[in-house]
Amino acid sequence: MSQTSDIQFNGLYAHELTVSRSEQVLLEDAELHLAPSTITYLHGENGAGKTTLMRCLAGLLPADHGEVYWNKLPITHPESNYFQDLIFLAHSLSMKNELSIAENLSFYASLRTKVSLNKQQLQQQISSVLNELGIGGLEDRMFAELSAGQQHKVALARLMLEPAKIWILDEPFVNLDHKTRGWLSEKALAFKQQGGTVLFTSHHHIEELPIDQSVGVEHE
Amino acid sequence: MIMTLLRRELKVARRNWIGLAIPLLFFIIVVSLFPFAVSPDAPVLQQLAPGVIWVAALLSMLLSLEQFYRSDYQDGALEQLLLMSSPTMVAASKILAHWLLTGLPLVILSPLLGVLMQINHGVEHSTHTWVLMLSLVLGTPTLCLLGAVGMSLTLAASRNGLLVSILIIPLYVPVLIFGASTVTASLENMRYNGELAILGAFLLITLVFAPFASGRALKISVG
Repeated sequence: MSQTSDIQFNGLYAHELTVSRSEQVLLEDAELHLAPSTITYLHGENGAGKTTLMRCLAGLLPADHGEVYWNKLPITHPESNYFQDLIFLAHSLSMKNELSIAENLSFYASLRTKVSLNKQQLQQQISSVLNELGIGGLEDRMFAELSAGQQHKVALARLMLEPAKIWILDEPFVNLDHKTRGWLSEKALAFKQQGGTVLFTSHHHIEELPIDQSVGVEHE
Repeated sequence: MIMTLLRRELKVARRNWIGLAIPLLFFIIVVSLFPFAVSPDAPVLQQLAPGVIWVAALLSMLLSLEQFYRSDYQDGALEQLLLMSSPTMVAASKILAHWLLTGLPLVILSPLLGVLMQINHGVEHSTHTWVLMLSLVLGTPTLCLLGAVGMSLTLAASRNGLLVSILIIPLYVPVLIFGASTVTASLENMRYNGELAILGAFLLITLVFAPFASGRALKISVG
């Protein structure tokens, strides 16, 4: 295991990462560097291990070997800010069917920020993001009543409501209409300009979103 | 963190109250069937009361465990919570919310079922009812805490209800023994402080270890 001081890279850096799933090795001694202000496209076939790799980078899945660093500190280090800086949007949308859109979104926003938020301000923010996404006025609708595409949009709204420095997005473009794809690309580019790091997967080429780095996961 | 999560749990529960009503209804039905099945004689019922009420409470808690982490695990909210705060905190707030929604209603309902089981038969005061409530106040959180550990260990297994029961019931038995014997001691006009103290000790021990253990297990189940 390497020392913290060896790592000179800012952003997210995976060192000698070995990940396996049900006794099948998906990655062996992989090095991966996601610098600040970059957008990285992760591609690979179905079942190649894209999601597994993302979950490992998000710290949800322990690596068999190797370490993931965020701004030179291991992400498991007590002083690491990684989990405050990270938004990980997985396949499962993580929203409660029993709560309204606004309740779902403000729950995550208030979990993220330790200080108590100005409620009115947060509600306004939520309304304006939902407007941009074309689902304005549905704030009080129960999450379960929305269509799949709309539910997906609600999950994406979190990106605008929670401060972060790195986005790890698993298939963010699936289920989205043309307009929302453009919206997400625009937001990702703006995020990049502010020094943000983006990692996303997709099965299709996204024309709207210029990428800086492309990483492939392949079967052995 | 705890307050935010608690508020959300209560909101979800309010809109999904049937799920919570079932274990509670089960508790009431089981106890209220005894007078029909055994005997409506007050002394007989009184003698059975501690055991019957405690066993019913335990089974009701076991029944409600199913909803503990399950829905959060299925819709992915659990992994988001684990990303945003420490596993121990997640477990602690879930356990607190779960007790408020399942254990506390049992405590509140227990005097009613005490009346049904003639628990105060032959005495002028209502000490027995208070002792019953007190034993449940100390005992049900312990059941919740132990259940949380069992549930978080078996989350990844499908149809884990049976597995959890097998894992958890042996740990529930000591709580049941001392819970029921507290009430029995009170009925026999003996001192019951010792039993209560042991229930309290169980609670303190599990309070220290269970949130931590449950948090660790959640982390493994999600990974």
